[in-house]
Amino acid sequence: MTDTTARPRTDGGVVAPAGGAVGTARTRLEGRDKVTGAARYAADVPFDGLAHGWLVLSTVARGRITSMDTAAVLGMPGVLGVVHHGNAPRLHPAGLFGPDGQLQLLQDDRVPHVGRPVALVVARTPQQARAGAAALTVTYAQEPHDTVFRAGHPAGRPAPAAPARPDADLGDVEAEIAAAPVVVDQRYTTPEEHHSAMEPHASMARWEDGRLEVVDSNQGSFMVARVLATLFGLDQEIVRVRAEHVGGGFGSKGVGPQLVLAVMAATLLRRPVRVALTRRQVFSTTGLRPATEQRLRLASDSTGRLRAIDHATAAFTSTIQEYVERNTEASNVMYAADAIRTRTTVVPLDLPTPGWMRGPGAAAGSFALESAMDELAQAVGVDPVELRLRNEPSAGPVSGLPFSSRNLAACLREGARRFGWADRDPRPGTRREGRWLLGTGVACGSYGAGALPSTAAITARADGSYTVSVGAADIGTGARTALALVAADALGVPPESVRMRIADSRLGAAWFAGGSKGTASWSWAVTAAAADLRERLASVDRVPPDGVTGRGDTTDAIGALGKQERQSYGAQFAEVAVDTGTGEVRVRRMLGMFAAGRIVNPLTARSQLVGGMTMGLSMALHEEGARDEALGALVNSDFAGYHISAHADVPDIEADWVEDVDDSNPSGIKGVGEVGIAGTAAAIANAVWHATGVRHRALPVRLDRVLESGFPAAR
Amino acid sequence: MDFLRPASWQEALAAKAEYPTAVPIAGGTDLMVEINFDHRRPDALLDLNRITELREWETGRQTVRLGASVPYSRIMEHLRAELPGLAQAAHTVASPQIRNRGGVGGNLGTASPAGDAHPALLASGARIEAVSVRGTRMIDVDDFYLGVKRNALAPDELIRAVHLPKATGPQAFAKVGTRNAMVIAVCAFGLALHPDRRTVRTGIGSAAPTPVRARVAEDFLTAALADGGHWDSGRPPAPSVAAEFARLVAGAANPIDDVRGTAAYRRHALGVLARRTLGWTWQAYREQDRSPACA
Ligand SMILES: Cc1cc2nc3c(=O)[nH]c(=O)nc-3n(C[C@H](O)[C@H](O)[C@H](O)COP(=O)(O)OP(=O)(O)OC[C@H]3O[C@@H](n4cnc5c(N)ncnc54)[C@H](O)[C@@H]3O)c2cc1C
Repeated sequence: MTDTTARPRTDGGVVAPAGGAVGTARTRLEGRDKVTGAARYAADVPFDGLAHGWLVLSTVARGRITSMDTAAVLGMPGVLGVVHHGNAPRLHPAGLFGPDGQLQLLQDDRVPHVGRPVALVVARTPQQARAGAAALTVTYAQEPHDTVFRAGHPAGRPAPAAPARPDADLGDVEAEIAAAPVVVDQRYTTPEEHHSAMEPHASMARWEDGRLEVVDSNQGSFMVARVLATLFGLDQEIVRVRAEHVGGGFGSKGVGPQLVLAVMAATLLRRPVRVALTRRQVFSTTGLRPATEQRLRLASDSTGRLRAIDHATAAFTSTIQEYVERNTEASNVMYAADAIRTRTTVVPLDLPTPGWMRGPGAAAGSFALESAMDELAQAVGVDPVELRLRNEPSAGPVSGLPFSSRNLAACLREGARRFGWADRDPRPGTRREGRWLLGTGVACGSYGAGALPSTAAITARADGSYTVSVGAADIGTGARTALALVAADALGVPPESVRMRIADSRLGAAWFAGGSKGTASWSWAVTAAAADLRERLASVDRVPPDGVTGRGDTTDAIGALGKQERQSYGAQFAEVAVDTGTGEVRVRRMLGMFAAGRIVNPLTARSQLVGGMTMGLSMALHEEGARDEALGALVNSDFAGYHISAHADVPDIEADWVEDVDDSNPSGIKGVGEVGIAGTAAAIANAVWHATGVRHRALPVRLDRVLESGFPAAR
Repeated sequence: MDFLRPASWQEALAAKAEYPTAVPIAGGTDLMVEINFDHRRPDALLDLNRITELREWETGRQTVRLGASVPYSRIMEHLRAELPGLAQAAHTVASPQIRNRGGVGGNLGTASPAGDAHPALLASGARIEAVSVRGTRMIDVDDFYLGVKRNALAPDELIRAVHLPKATGPQAFAKVGTRNAMVIAVCAFGLALHPDRRTVRTGIGSAAPTPVRARVAEDFLTAALADGGHWDSGRPPAPSVAAEFARLVAGAANPIDDVRGTAAYRRHALGVLARRTLGWTWQAYREQDRSPACA
């Protein structure tokens, strides 16, 4: 051959050096664009004739809209229209996972919570729209509301079981507890928390030649397009949704209210409309992690071997959508026990609908379970690392299914070695350094892994380049880069010859960036497309000008998978210092060891894990949505009031992983987005106990709580 | 909204006289937040950013004349020796970005009880140079804070500078927040030892409607240090003295419960900060040359 460019050989092999891209640290493909400001986010993309919509949010927690003075607003400078329940297009039931009442916006006069969109004012400029929204007088017939969550609330009802994980009822919990020499029985609470992604939600919608085009900030354009089509009764073929760059989501960027309202306005006004939320609107309208109250009963024999795990949790939901926070998942998979029982209660209140927030279920659930494990270690007098090793299951403790791979024990052992755990004095409240009391803590976590059906296509071009098209989303995780590495290895070409097209609903069906299953799902489809392409290339002489395309669809392969327990695992270690005078808690260092399958890009995987741990630290010490009982409104709906950890709160955080081979999926990938936040808060709270001798069962571990818990006198 | 951009200090004073409701904007780190949240909607803004002398300072024999707009980052960098209390306070303000823009003039303009400069200004005995076309007044910091976010400036006055005595002894500032940076103080405390006059002064932040001094605590400690001969001997005051000082500081506060902390927590923490800052400053006093003449 005379052609020396790296192009596919006609024998189906390749000229380029094969393999080795996966597992090497690579900076993000779009990194330069992001740091130079060239990358455009949803609210940055210009459109001719663009109008701007501004949300008007309800100010009462429950009631009906009795009137809305739109006439006055329509006369204001630049105002083009007001969308409200009197004129909004009628919507069909739709949602990402079944009909979602949150999306039924402006359909009637009911107000289910403070901060529910009740109108959209559209104007030529954002300033005019904002002025119009501020001027819109809405009157309400207010009804008594209930926004105060507690586990024993009379409205509480059993949650419907998760399809793949019914309530656990293994063995006889009560009998084991009655007979066990050691029992821990405690309640743990976590507050309402907010996702707080850096980029506020924004969407642009316009009709062009009978087609609906959307530029959005979301976690999965294909699934968003499907919901939009159903919601507005459109053929999905004519709906195109793109989300090229997304500044974080943490679960909050499904089908946002701004998107539904932008489509309504574009439809009514027949012009492009963008709706960009303010930070306060993000707090009010885009979901939250609900407050939880959990009761954990652990019973063990005198060596710490578990006889029973009884985990009951309650969390709130709204009155318009039943969101279930599945806190008991970890109790199904973490430890072997003779009896395991889990129960989940939902309490509908006049509050915004909660949603998936990084590590849904696991973040709060692991706080309860892993705190209780630490209490058990204390009660039995066994080292907390050793206690966990003693209860390591050989198969799913409740399901009996084999683990696809597990390796939690390796995380614990290697983590303990690197952290210097062996030297730890187990006695609490004994290490002083000036005004500080020091302590260390450990906790484990897990998060479901696996892949969901996706499609991908790869086109080989005559110039030796390959274009990978997959409906993936890169919400800042580095997914685009990871998939390029996967594609390069699957094709046997250098990553430089791979171009990525993602985040466009036209690229075909794909799972979204959620459930820690994005990279695994998309990679599998990309691998399948690469195999198909290589086969096709084997049968052509040379690549024709319009290229050769291979396609992958994992639906059947995933359907044929055997049943297994599939999770990522982690063990986290924390050292804290507690100020004896003021109760301030400072985390000095943290180490997380993870078993998370194959690591595609160590650079971005580490940043996901460190990011999860940082968010867990923030959850442990700072984050807390405060609501006013009389108004039902969030008091601290901005970053001055809702505290996420600042740099000065985040010490040296180290994240690393042990070898974890999961061959149940050809990519071997498990996902690293959420396991990093599972267990962090418990590790820190356990360390605070070790420092002070006082347990904190309510998050966040606030300085006033530490002080008022009456630990050693100030000095 | 009009936007006035005087090119000189004289022009700024003239503009403020002509438009007394025009709101000055320096770094904008308080004002823009208020405008953004629609807490106020001024008819006009008076931009002070073209007036370079507001960003300068002069160090005299006994005082520093600190231009109203000298950013916190410059105070931390250049005035640590002369104004240690204020430099420490500056260090705890917000984040580097905010510290590069915000300054003491703006902190005084807002006069929030939570402003971090105030305890240091109170403890050092600062005076505010308030100027109008009518002339210049020197306002003692003790007379400056009138109520929650209200100060003693007349409608036509601007702050030209703050005059702070150069430290003659150790000073300390301590702040408790619900996180380690970028945080509004739950409570804050400033303490300055004045060995030249053999007195101490204090300042309390975030624990009363205005920043306040703990005068009874100051008098108690000043007397106790004199009676015990501590200024000469350098011996630290007895723990019972420190404890009483802390108790009196806590008693001087008039805190409320809010989302950042309870009144009881604030009182307790102030006592802790008082005892700690006394320990730190006295330790520093012992370690430095303490002949009164060296001031
Ligand atoms: C994210 C963030 C964090 C913050 N954290 C802190 C903190 O930790 N501690 C703290 O103390 N503050 C904090 N602040 C508040 C603010 O930064 C400070 O109060 C700062 O000192 C204000 O200075 P400025 O120059 O920006 O004032 P501006 O916002 O420009 O002005 C503030 C007020 O002072 C008036 N003013 C300004 N200059 C003059 C003058 N020469 N004469 C008369 N009036 C004048 C203005 O009219 C206005 O009313 C924070 C602000 C933000 C946005």
